[in-house]
Amino acid sequence: MDIALITESIETLLGGVVLTLELTILSLLIGFGLSVPLAFMRASRSQWLSMPVLAYTYVFRGTPLLVQLFLIYYGLSQLAFVRESFLWLLFRDPFYCALLAFSLNSAAYTIEVFRGGIQSVPPGLVEAAQAIGLSPTKIRLRIVFPLAFRTVLPSYANEVVGMIKASSLASTVTLLEITGLARKLVSETFAPYEVFIAAGAIYLGLTFLASRLFNLIELHLSGAPPDKARFPWLLKLRQAL
Amino acid sequence: MQTAIDIHSENPRRGRAAAIASLRAENVHKTLGTHPVLRGVSLAAYPHEVISVLGASGSGKSTLLRCLNLLEVPDSGEIWFRDEKLDIRPPAGRNGARIGDARQARRVRASLGMVFQSFNLWPHKTALENVMEGPVHVRGLTRRAATECAEHYLRKVGLIERRDHYPRHLSGGQQQRVAIARALAMEPEVLLFDEPTSALDPELTGEVLRAIRSLAEEGRTMILVTHELSFAREVSSRVAFMQGGRIEEEGPPEEVLSRPASAGLRRFLDPVC
Amino acid sequence: MGGFEEQFLRGLETTVLVAAISGAFGMLVGLAGAAAKLSRFRALRMVADAYTTIVRGVPELLVILLVYFGGTAALTALVGSYVEVSALWAGVFSLTVVFGAYATEIFRGAIQAIPRGQTEAALSIGLAPWQTWLLVILPQMARIALPALCNLWISLLKDTSLISIVGLSDIMRVAVVGAGSMRDPLTFYLAASALYLMLTSFSLLTFRLVERRMLAPVH
Repeated sequence: MDIALITESIETLLGGVVLTLELTILSLLIGFGLSVPLAFMRASRSQWLSMPVLAYTYVFRGTPLLVQLFLIYYGLSQLAFVRESFLWLLFRDPFYCALLAFSLNSAAYTIEVFRGGIQSVPPGLVEAAQAIGLSPTKIRLRIVFPLAFRTVLPSYANEVVGMIKASSLASTVTLLEITGLARKLVSETFAPYEVFIAAGAIYLGLTFLASRLFNLIELHLSGAPPDKARFPWLLKLRQAL
Repeated sequence: MQTAIDIHSENPRRGRAAAIASLRAENVHKTLGTHPVLRGVSLAAYPHEVISVLGASGSGKSTLLRCLNLLEVPDSGEIWFRDEKLDIRPPAGRNGARIGDARQARRVRASLGMVFQSFNLWPHKTALENVMEGPVHVRGLTRRAATECAEHYLRKVGLIERRDHYPRHLSGGQQQRVAIARALAMEPEVLLFDEPTSALDPELTGEVLRAIRSLAEEGRTMILVTHELSFAREVSSRVAFMQGGRIEEEGPPEEVLSRPASAGLRRFLDPVC
Repeated sequence: MGGFEEQFLRGLETTVLVAAISGAFGMLVGLAGAAAKLSRFRALRMVADAYTTIVRGVPELLVILLVYFGGTAALTALVGSYVEVSALWAGVFSLTVVFGAYATEIFRGAIQAIPRGQTEAALSIGLAPWQTWLLVILPQMARIALPALCNLWISLLKDTSLISIVGLSDIMRVAVVGAGSMRDPLTFYLAASALYLMLTSFSLLTFRLVERRMLAPVH
């Protein structure tokens, strides 16, 4: 094992961190945006609302992400309406294919996580909101979702870590994020141990940072005494919203 | 005792026939599951009246209160808010009764302050934020005005110094007083209390009862479901005794509670005999 | 599908085989890992902690690439001429390592969820420590761990598709080859999706049944 080669590789691979983060964060954001309304549909008592969402989460959670990615990257071009519209500008680019696959996949998992949280909110808290005449949308956004999100924060943190790791699949559609760069580097240096261990170290750093961040948020939301909040700016931000 | 007499003397019951009830239930029926909980209940609260609803658990008194602001929707019968009949759709097929006009329900609920047995404060909001929620998002006050309003009512229940505390850092009695402030901040026409002290340790009920008593003394219209007999006797202008989903007896507390007519109420008042 | 039906069938066999072997070994690793994490010996606990932290913080794909290419490089250096590791065994090894890390956490959590009184009660009626483990702790742990293990097994099934990247002829590989040679990726990847969905659905149903049977005596 060549330590110097590892440090050298880390330097090279850091160039892929931006793309990894870009893919991860954008997918998480899009996935989050999709999953909030869909989770409420999924948690709804109406079968007409919940069943289609269940079908979506069931299929996306029951098949490998790699298949989903290839289906989008290789398969979409077969559809005439994709090839002959503005969509082609997006989906001939592997970046957007990966982004679409990751977002849809992340949304599927996040929906089920949020659904659990939504269903765990005590009904009395919703009744208290109804009793002051709050509108259903405001009840969902201001009471139910914030409470649900707090409950499922640890599971959502796992989702985020999972997304960081899953973004490595982008390397299979020619994208040079961390894993893509690593594979390229291995084919040039023939030093798989050093390069892949270097890549692993970078991922470990990223996933560690992500879980630390969520630990801090959780700590802040659950235990901070009111008068000496650990993050005054967060309290201010919240009051401003 | 002094206070109770004051309320009665201020209470304009003479004009009752002419006055419009603030809130009225008319022949309300409600079945929960297969159990008929309300079997034709009528009750009216006129301005400045304090009505206590008594009865054993399972007599339907909480359900009645929840029907009044449509947290439960009656299967049949009418709910009137002043001169406005609430739009209720009776059960149809497999679906239970439901609210017909959601906007109306919201508007009326905003005028009916509800205090729950288990407080139901929102745990992710501070005491102040709990109280401000309605003024900002229902009444449409500016943040500044809502803060002032919320602070006013927190001061009123004696908790202004706890404004930035989260519910979990407050005692049960304090939480219930914040919940009362939250209801008051909507400047409601009628206040509904659903066993407000039942979830409290005995030593904490006093502070909550004191807060409710001072509201009664202000001449607010209130309907109070309670187990606190002596408190009901002191603050109420009228008591209603419920049994088996019906109102068995109704009248001024001194009459109803001193000379109960029905066997049910006699047993309720004095379980020993 | 141009004769690919049979290949898909063989791919299905390979996928199930790889998942089953990795799952079985991974369970053993998980039990050992949980025992290590709950052990009195600090060194053991540290090794187990390092294992689960590292493996769970790194992409599964990277573990597979490391084992496959790393293994090949090591063997080549050892033998002196180019030797390629079998994709199947590299895959099984990688997924065992991954499955074991998550299983360690599941088992540890499940064991800790069993009230201490259970062990004390078992010892108090004179059961030996090994009997306590076998008769009292393990059955209860299995019941608590079952839902999480079901999720882990389904992840494992899906993760086997990553081994196709280093050449394993599983469902995914057949789809890639078929999509390329027949110039019809939609059909082939949809077929692969259907097969995976079948496997995960079947797994879910089976776990549901087992769970029901395990919970039955409680009622």
